[in-house]
Amino acid sequence: MLIAKDLNKSFSGFPALKDVSIEVRDGEVVGLVGENGAGKSTLMRVLAGVYVPDRGSLSLDGEPLRLRSPREANAAGIGIVFQEQSLLLNLSVAENIYLGQEREFTSAGVLNWPRLRSAARRQLKKVGVDVDPKVRTSELSFAARQMVELAKALALEERTQHRLVILLDEPTSVLEQREIDILFERVRSLRERASFVFVSHRLDEVLAVSDRVYIMRDGGVVAERLASATSVGELHQLMVGHELQAEYYRESAQVAARDEVVLSADNLSIPGAYKNVSFELHQGEILGIAGVIGSGREELTRTMFGFLPYAGGTLSVNGRPVRFRAPSEAVKHSIGYIPRERRVEGLVLPLSISANITLASLRSVFTGLGLNHGRERSLAREWVQRLRIRARSIESACLHLSGGNQQKVVLAKWLNARSKILILDHPTRGLDVGAKSEVYDLMRQLSAEGVAIVLTADTLEETIGLCHTILVMRDGEVTARFAAPPHGKPTQVELIRCMV
Amino acid sequence: MKAAVEAGKTGVEFWSGAKLRAAVPTVLLIGLILTIGAIRPSFLNANTLAEIAADTATLFTLATGVTFVVIIGGIDLSIQSVASLSSVIMALLLPRYGWGAFPVALAAGLAIGVGNGFAHVGLRIPSFIATLASSGIAASIALVFSQAHSVTINETGRNFLAWISGRFLGVPTLILIGLLVAALGFWLQQYTSFGRYSVAIGAGEAAVWASGVRVGRQKIYAYALSGGLAAFAGTLLASRMSSGSPTLASELLLPAISAVVVGGTAITGGSGGIGRTLIGSLLISVIRVGMTFVGVPIFAQQIVFGMILIAAVALTLDRGKIFVVK
Repeated sequence: MLIAKDLNKSFSGFPALKDVSIEVRDGEVVGLVGENGAGKSTLMRVLAGVYVPDRGSLSLDGEPLRLRSPREANAAGIGIVFQEQSLLLNLSVAENIYLGQEREFTSAGVLNWPRLRSAARRQLKKVGVDVDPKVRTSELSFAARQMVELAKALALEERTQHRLVILLDEPTSVLEQREIDILFERVRSLRERASFVFVSHRLDEVLAVSDRVYIMRDGGVVAERLASATSVGELHQLMVGHELQAEYYRESAQVAARDEVVLSADNLSIPGAYKNVSFELHQGEILGIAGVIGSGREELTRTMFGFLPYAGGTLSVNGRPVRFRAPSEAVKHSIGYIPRERRVEGLVLPLSISANITLASLRSVFTGLGLNHGRERSLAREWVQRLRIRARSIESACLHLSGGNQQKVVLAKWLNARSKILILDHPTRGLDVGAKSEVYDLMRQLSAEGVAIVLTADTLEETIGLCHTILVMRDGEVTARFAAPPHGKPTQVELIRCMV
Repeated sequence: MKAAVEAGKTGVEFWSGAKLRAAVPTVLLIGLILTIGAIRPSFLNANTLAEIAADTATLFTLATGVTFVVIIGGIDLSIQSVASLSSVIMALLLPRYGWGAFPVALAAGLAIGVGNGFAHVGLRIPSFIATLASSGIAASIALVFSQAHSVTINETGRNFLAWISGRFLGVPTLILIGLLVAALGFWLQQYTSFGRYSVAIGAGEAAVWASGVRVGRQKIYAYALSGGLAAFAGTLLASRMSSGSPTLASELLLPAISAVVVGGTAITGGSGGIGRTLIGSLLISVIRVGMTFVGVPIFAQQIVFGMILIAAVALTLDRGKIFVVK
């Protein structure tokens, strides 16, 4: 049994963990929920030996435990599967599983490859995944890599006399439903070997897989519940301190799209990605694209913004065919893109809020001899007010903003560029509930103003709740189209039937 | 409450830390001038200081071009060869074509700069390889043109260069040229989209690209500017030496890059500026002249510059953001 008592951890004065105490009993799956910044990830990293706590203690099976590095945590039987995967893509699966443990397979300085591979095969068998340990990790799908990570954590079994504790830090955020089901099934079947701590944003998942749930808020544990005796609603209430709104996706604010077609695809194709995709996007319409990984929907959205050139068919903006070779050409046609990788493609993190807001439309602040700094500042202030971006000043670096405020800066960038078509690629990923609902509000507002939106969402509920029209893709083809008026939304089951 | 107090404290610490670090080069510059002045009072006389300032103009011109390349996340190792080539072109063409030599020399520098840009952006070659290679090419062209000799500029040619080494309203023209270059650099940095995009690209290229900016084009501008200014520095050198030579600027690469980094522009890109490079250039010049004053032989000076460069990068690199240095 792993016990953490009164853990405290601060980063340059900001407390991230405040007197956190939790228990992980043998064979138990413990859920950990909380909004962004509640301290879940910090707690996981303390348990994994990545951070050393400022105060507080750990104990394992009654013995005090001090962890100063991930290696020491591993020795105590604690392994972690990170949200952003930690495998080295240029190494084989076997090398990854035993990374840092090669000595076990070495004699006289020479690595015994067959022995390494057969050991790796044994670990892979535990998670029931059929992967050749010789294969380079980069060739695996994302879901398969997740399983390899799990196998890597399970390999600790052979190096410790303790029972394993495996920390799963948002392992599902990048998986599709089918893959999530497989992962959960494995977790359940591995309970006799290990205990799990499971972190996720999706509360229904946490309830489905956990025995007990800790709820965190502002760096502290605010409640503990048995999974069987609580509900998504209650968890949510505990996390945010208020109840979930009934009208989560603002369905009643959904106004009918206008008649003008702003973006259309006619038999659009990229060999190996998708084929014969046709659709029309109208002013003020929110068009959702649903599909699992590999359905081609990611490639389709990236084609619309000029990341990928299309091979066949036609893409038209305002009725005129276009062929984007780079995002700059899409931007010229008043298209904006809110990327899934907000911190990489959305924002230049070290730059100020104002510089990020004007990045896509620098000309709007040019007068006479050049960049007019006064005008840039007043423009930025206007957007900060309109979108209620919370920051110390418009000169603050975007690096220090919360996820929700960062997303609003990205949105402000495109609004300042007067984008008429917005491509939203997982716009609420990693945002807490409050920030999500603000993004939904903004989307409704923009749609009412006539901005057309293409949405690839994190969840089906989001797609159904927000969109006017839903395109379902499978294996690179559009398998169905649903109209989704406020009082005639399709159900998840109907969509899933066309997805798999 | 306690959290707020703690947060406030770190805020101040952070602020003063960043401020302090930015002020270090200036403090160092003033301290160094006063120290040398205390040992050798003649150092502080107006003529010596003006001489140092004039001497800095060439270095600063080279460093200004490199500053933008470094901010954008690259490096330009070809500047010394470009400057030398430009001096050779000047020495060969001045006697015959007079003013016409200037545009030819500058065009050669620009062309090599644009070439660097295309090799880096178009062929996706790391900038240090692309510019190392073009440095060899430029150096060789200079050798071929000059038949591997130093070319003395004759009386006729010198007439066209006299304005550079002269004075204007009692101030050495070189100082004024340096100030003009500084003004140009400052304007580019603060008031043009090129300046803004440069910093943004250095700090987060993917986001800049995904904002619809033609990143490649901005990079080519930076290398072109660097090549052009290097050629201009070459004309200044030709004027000072009254000659052109394929090795005229060969001791200037290390000081120029040192000036950029010592001034506080991050070698990893994304932050820095022309003001910092100005301070850095003055600092390097004072160190150089100071070494001569103190009696360090001229051949040994590159040892000092090499060590300064390593120390400056080691002290200013923000390792919080970088885990692996390649």
